[in-house]
Amino acid sequence: MMRAIRDFEERVHAEFATGEIPGFVHLYAGEEASAVGVCSNLDDRDTIASTHRGHGHCIAKGVDVGEMMAEIYGRKTGSCHGKGGSMHIADLSKGMLGANGIVGGGPPLICGTALAAKIKGTGGVSVVFFGDGASNQGTTLESMNLASVWNLPAIFVAENNGYAETTSSTWSVASDNIADRAAGFGMPGVVIDGFDFFAVHEAASEAIARARQGGGPTLLEMKFTRYFGHFEGDQQTYRAGEVDHARAELDCLKRFAARVTETGELTRSDLDAVDAEVATMIDQAVAEAKAAPPPAEADLLTDVYVRY
Amino acid sequence: MGDAVVGVVANPLSGRDIRRLVTQASVFPTAEKANMIQRMLTAFDAVGVHRVLLSTDLGGISASVFRAIERRRRQDVRWPEVEFLDGQPIRQTAQDTVDAVRRMVTAGARVIICLGGDGTARVTASAVGEVPMLALSTGTNNAFPAVMEATIAGLAAGLVATGAVPADGVVTRVKLLEVRAGDRAETALIDVAVSTQRHVGTRAVWDPATVTQLFCAFAEPDAIGLSSILGQLSPVARHEPHGVTARIAPEAPARVLAPIAPGLVMPVGVRDIELMSPQSAYPVDARAGVIAVDGERELTFEAGERPTVRLRADGPRCVDVSAVLTASARLGLLRRPPGVRPTTSCTHRPLGGTHDRHGGAESSDPGATAERLPDDAGDP
Repeated sequence: MMRAIRDFEERVHAEFATGEIPGFVHLYAGEEASAVGVCSNLDDRDTIASTHRGHGHCIAKGVDVGEMMAEIYGRKTGSCHGKGGSMHIADLSKGMLGANGIVGGGPPLICGTALAAKIKGTGGVSVVFFGDGASNQGTTLESMNLASVWNLPAIFVAENNGYAETTSSTWSVASDNIADRAAGFGMPGVVIDGFDFFAVHEAASEAIARARQGGGPTLLEMKFTRYFGHFEGDQQTYRAGEVDHARAELDCLKRFAARVTETGELTRSDLDAVDAEVATMIDQAVAEAKAAPPPAEADLLTDVYVRY
Repeated sequence: MGDAVVGVVANPLSGRDIRRLVTQASVFPTAEKANMIQRMLTAFDAVGVHRVLLSTDLGGISASVFRAIERRRRQDVRWPEVEFLDGQPIRQTAQDTVDAVRRMVTAGARVIICLGGDGTARVTASAVGEVPMLALSTGTNNAFPAVMEATIAGLAAGLVATGAVPADGVVTRVKLLEVRAGDRAETALIDVAVSTQRHVGTRAVWDPATVTQLFCAFAEPDAIGLSSILGQLSPVARHEPHGVTARIAPEAPARVLAPIAPGLVMPVGVRDIELMSPQSAYPVDARAGVIAVDGERELTFEAGERPTVRLRADGPRCVDVSAVLTASARLGLLRRPPGVRPTTSCTHRPLGGTHDRHGGAESSDPGATAERLPDDAGDP
């Protein structure tokens, strides 16, 4: 799953440079352990909300990779029929409430789905991923308050990659750790090494189990680095060196591979087989997306709230 | 004798791990860590510390202290000179603590105070060499650092740093556990636990069912954390030469209720309790797993590595705050001649004659009638 996200993002990075992909893309590479470590604890009852950097969350929650690629290419076969693009990929059938172009747009959404799960007694948990920039938004703070007051099965995952677009979080976040803010809302807050799949998985597993049992919300803060710029085309004059260091020393895929082969849980050839399977899947997704038609004129009046 | 220099290293990440979620551990606010340092600065000044070396961080602790110093300067109220140890990369890992402590040692710190939990104390101990350390609790599971008012710790550290209280008898060397797996080694100040978990993960150990073997340098009956398991069954004091080890097994006949973490009191089965002799290598039974040092998973080991644990007598030298202040009372170090009206902005007070650089200043104060302790020593 982490490999699928990495390859998907690396490929979108390459394809975007050709000019064939419309709109903007914000890539998730480097942060895979967060999406996968959290979502591997979720099931069909659960919902997630995401950010403008949402491809990883979509893949981790099971959204079809082919449909996602088609959506990014603006094709009729896309998850949202090619009308949403990268920042609005959604698949309600998979519990994926959508990538979200609004910074801080996700947290209120999961308060809604978490409340629904609580009232219906489904045992479902809702998770929102948001960035260090969104951690300063009123919507995020209000949602944490609401989730705590109503004791909702809601998990707030702050993905702190160090920069809100180009502004360092050391300049924009008034507390040293976003997780510290949890105390003000009466919920647990935990800082996690976001490059370490096992740490993320373990913490998320505890938080989600607690929420399912009626224990209420948790704030998890992942600390890591995104490998690409804020958006594709970002010159990244605001940072230097840290990406090379992260890729070389901290990378979640490398660490995962080293660890599971060390313990004998998987062999190198098991991992190679997964990598090959993923490469084929991504090739196929891109080929199919390129071959698919754009939405037709008649589609202009479908998928809208108003009937024409 | 050179300047009386004290180093203070504060871990911005202490009190933030998963035990907030799986137990009722508290969050230790950054603002309070910064306040503690300010309270220490007041105490340092009161007992004549000249210079303080302070670690820097991205977490806002050093920035907060810096702002407070600027405010004080405007108010013409003095603290000792504070040197911020900046100019080197901050990695936001334990290496930052190691780097800061090494710089303090090189710069001639006579006492190094660390603010953090058991993990921070362990890392500080690894770098402190022969410089006495004083560990103050701002973490989660604190068997090693003292939960104590920072002002008092600051007074004690200052009295040792100035030489007013001689180190003999108030600075004691503690034990250390060393664990070796292949070519890797870690040390622990309190306990080494062997866990059946396979990964370091979120580091903390809070489920005794995952622990198979436990080694303790000391096990106090009133401890929190893994050492509490043996603290009730076979207590070992910090000053005793031996340690204690046991196997942990759910089916073991001896069971004890142990406070493994804040808000977590668990029944634990224990067998094969044995005192640890210094220097002997005790083998780890398990073929593979994770070794936790002072409650944090740190070292993974695989089949064939056969880690060993050894009790060493050459741990760090630690300041005994109570002993320092008892000695201070005996020597009358904080007594003041009649009529002195001490404030933090005044010159450093001579102490016990060892730092009598302003000799005679007090006696020149006319109209003096009462002995007083510094009335601002507890002012944050």
